[in-house]
Amino acid sequence: MTTSVISADTTPGAATAARGSIELRQVRKTYGDVVAVDELDLVVQPGEFVTLLGPSGSGKTTTMMMVAGFEEHTSGSVLIDGKPVDALPPRERNLGVVFQNYALFPHMNARENVEFALRMRKIPRAERRERAEAALERVGLGGLGGRRPRQLSGGQQQRVALARSLVFNPAALLLDEPMAALDKRLREHMQEEIKTLQKSLGISVLFVTHDQDEAMAMSDRIVVMKDGRIVQSGPPEEVYAHPLTDWVASFLGDTNLVPCTVLERHGSEAVVDLGGLGIGRVQDRGVVGERYAVSIRPEHLKFRPGAPEENGGTGTMVSSTNLGATIRHRITAGGHELQLRELSSESTGRSGAAGEVHVGWDAANAQLLVLEG
Amino acid sequence: MKRSKTTSPRPQGRAQGRALALLSLPVFAFLVIPTAIVVPVALNDSRYITFPPEGVSLAAVQGFFEDHAWTTALSASLQAAAIAVVLGVLLGATAAIGLHGRKFPGQPAVVGLILAPMIVPTVVLALAFYQFFISVGMVGSIIPIGLAHAVIATPYVYLTTRASLAGLNPALVRSAQSLGAGALSILRHVYLPVILPGLVSGALFAFSVSIDETVMSLFMQSPSATTLPVKMFTDIQFNLTPKIAVSSAVLVTVATVGLLLQVIYVLRRRSTARMLPLAV
Amino acid sequence: MSQTTLERVRPAGRPTPGTSGGRPRRRSGWWLLLAPILAFDALLFLTPLGKLVGSSFSDNAYQRVLSDPLVLRSLANTLTISLASTVVTVLLGYVIALVLWRSGTVMRVVLFAVVLLPFWTGILVKNFAWAVLLQDNGVVNSILQAIGLTDHPIELLHNRFAVIVGMVHCLLPYAVFPIFSSLASIDDRLALAARSLGAREISIFRRIILPLSAPGVSAAGLLVFIISTGFFITPVVMGGPGDMMIANQIDYYARQLTDFSGAAALAVVLTVLVSILVAVYQRVLKAGGQHEAL
Repeated sequence: MTTSVISADTTPGAATAARGSIELRQVRKTYGDVVAVDELDLVVQPGEFVTLLGPSGSGKTTTMMMVAGFEEHTSGSVLIDGKPVDALPPRERNLGVVFQNYALFPHMNARENVEFALRMRKIPRAERRERAEAALERVGLGGLGGRRPRQLSGGQQQRVALARSLVFNPAALLLDEPMAALDKRLREHMQEEIKTLQKSLGISVLFVTHDQDEAMAMSDRIVVMKDGRIVQSGPPEEVYAHPLTDWVASFLGDTNLVPCTVLERHGSEAVVDLGGLGIGRVQDRGVVGERYAVSIRPEHLKFRPGAPEENGGTGTMVSSTNLGATIRHRITAGGHELQLRELSSESTGRSGAAGEVHVGWDAANAQLLVLEG
Repeated sequence: MKRSKTTSPRPQGRAQGRALALLSLPVFAFLVIPTAIVVPVALNDSRYITFPPEGVSLAAVQGFFEDHAWTTALSASLQAAAIAVVLGVLLGATAAIGLHGRKFPGQPAVVGLILAPMIVPTVVLALAFYQFFISVGMVGSIIPIGLAHAVIATPYVYLTTRASLAGLNPALVRSAQSLGAGALSILRHVYLPVILPGLVSGALFAFSVSIDETVMSLFMQSPSATTLPVKMFTDIQFNLTPKIAVSSAVLVTVATVGLLLQVIYVLRRRSTARMLPLAV
Repeated sequence: MSQTTLERVRPAGRPTPGTSGGRPRRRSGWWLLLAPILAFDALLFLTPLGKLVGSSFSDNAYQRVLSDPLVLRSLANTLTISLASTVVTVLLGYVIALVLWRSGTVMRVVLFAVVLLPFWTGILVKNFAWAVLLQDNGVVNSILQAIGLTDHPIELLHNRFAVIVGMVHCLLPYAVFPIFSSLASIDDRLALAARSLGAREISIFRRIILPLSAPGVSAAGLLVFIISTGFFITPVVMGGPGDMMIANQIDYYARQLTDFSGAAALAVVLTVLVSILVAVYQRVLKAGGQHEAL
């Protein structure tokens, strides 16, 4: 991890423990013999938007539940604002939580839902009302406070859930797949809105999702989880551009994975045997004789005028699909099925009927990845 | 860690859970104790009814089975139950199959008629049957009592059978028909395997309803047709006798067996909803 | 015009009876399955009830019965005893339903069995057991004397208290199931959300669980009240002469006074009252979103 870990002797109130930080130290969760989360270290800095990204069963939701206090970790420690909260029940952790289906109270109207946390904190009625109205206003629901959840659209329900989790000034916000129930267009709209809201409030967010596009669009940092462990963590562009393993590369976006063996090394460059695709050069090192995979994103695979000597090969078109902004071609070359994506506006005009084609990539765009799964 | 481990995020905390368990203990005791004392009371070694028992003895049980009045009552009850179960299963099952996956004008009325005997208070039915069977000259035998029990048992069989049919797609039956299967063969090969658990469950209900029914049997009783509950009801108003205790123990045993069968069925099906096919 | 409309409306798959062909044979056949129960209920359910209603309109029965002070008293008894039993039953039933709801799978089945045991046991057996427990030298009196609450046996049997105890015991399962099913339909995440918003367990119960299970409570209350109005055995076995309910009054008219028209009139009154309550009950179930058999 690139971020600095708050050292154990940090005193409360010190600069590093500013309001909104969440830290997990060696957190482990087992159910009987099953390890759900294994010795997890994670820090969310104040104001940072961190996404736990992984397939179902990767432990991301369990991790969030442990931060919220709904699940108890088997060992390790959770700190909020630098203070251990392991012994605190959820109500004393001061975290706003938005659930997958929002978990709005169906027998209360939107305003009463938002007021709930304030009522629990024994805040006088007038102030309660004022703050709830302001919170609803903030999420663009001014005037709809009197509606019951079932009278609101999915997007509106989500805004109520957001207002409800923010109205009591929580230290941080936990979001558990909050967009899963929305359709694509609304989801993209809400992604932007949540991001804008988070920036303007400067609040820390721990976000859980299995949707890689959502993670790319919203996060300051993505933490990729698999089988209860962190596989990779970093800014979205970095994780996308430099995945550590073949699994991360294929989980985060589409990619072409070509198995290879390292033949020799020249400084920071390695020459690899790509099987049917001949010889390739990559900017990574690797161990001579070892098996790896070379990853080339579809947008980095290009048509070439003639057969390339290295980093590419000759094959035949299988299909071409126009996706609107881009065109996706499937090509078999050297015994591999490759995906090539080009912008429609820059299309070379080739199509599925084109027969023999030459494709290749720039060495800088190919990565040598550890084989994992 | 201060808190002990919780395995699942149950909606309430542990302290509250303990308080609730403590609060509910007397309620569960209230539910169970009366049924639980019946068998010990029947095995009590005393001429009087006492609990806790003073000693264990089968004297009362022996007395019960040697008393002609009581054994006649037991056999009358079993005869009535046999009529109720056979008729109930036949009528309830055919009704459930006949209505399965069909919609026609007047269907709600038919379903309403089938279920109606559950709603009418038994004392009203008792009076109606009493008048009716006198008017048709059918008194002094167990048959009218068995028929009356069949009337109130049938809706239970209908409901359990309907519940077991819920998963059967009517289209499947239609496809069987389109393949040329005859009505009887469809009943045997398509419906019977599906409804069998519901039939068994319904038969148990019908038996239980009949064996415990008191009010209608009381109205229609005659010296030759006095069921076990009627005999108990008549005697209990004078004194609590060991023979009433034995009779109760017999009925509790029957109930427990029925319940155990039901629990096994539920555990095999993994659904508590099936425990009570009707929510009433 | 109307004739052509009829022709058009009639679905193709439902030809008039008597039409020959493959599909009609199937269509007409299933009526045979409904015939037995329809015939049976017509003969042995509708006919006796019809005769009962018919006989209630003779001899000025309604006027006679409804001016009988004994009848009015038993009606008042029915109302007060049923109300008291209903309140107690729903309260105890709520406690049991909560425990069932919070239990794990195996425990839940065991507790369900515990709740169902009295349900499967005949009413007379239950009342007999209560009589044994509550009699002068019964175990309840022994305990009361042992802990020094009294030095002589208290009359616990043959009074209204005993009737209500016996009825509540019979009625509890009927209250547990509707309440349990409304609790079970509450999304677990609502409680989690409330906890994250700062609620203590007691507030979660009062502000979330209780209001959301209200439909189950009202369904349970109505159902239990409906059933309790028809009680016959328990007032006789466990009550005193002053605890006779409407069902006992019907019996008294029929078998003691042999006044059939009077008994029938009372029976009709009871049935009409119950039917109205059943209609209300079904409304409550629909409003609460529960889909149950009755």
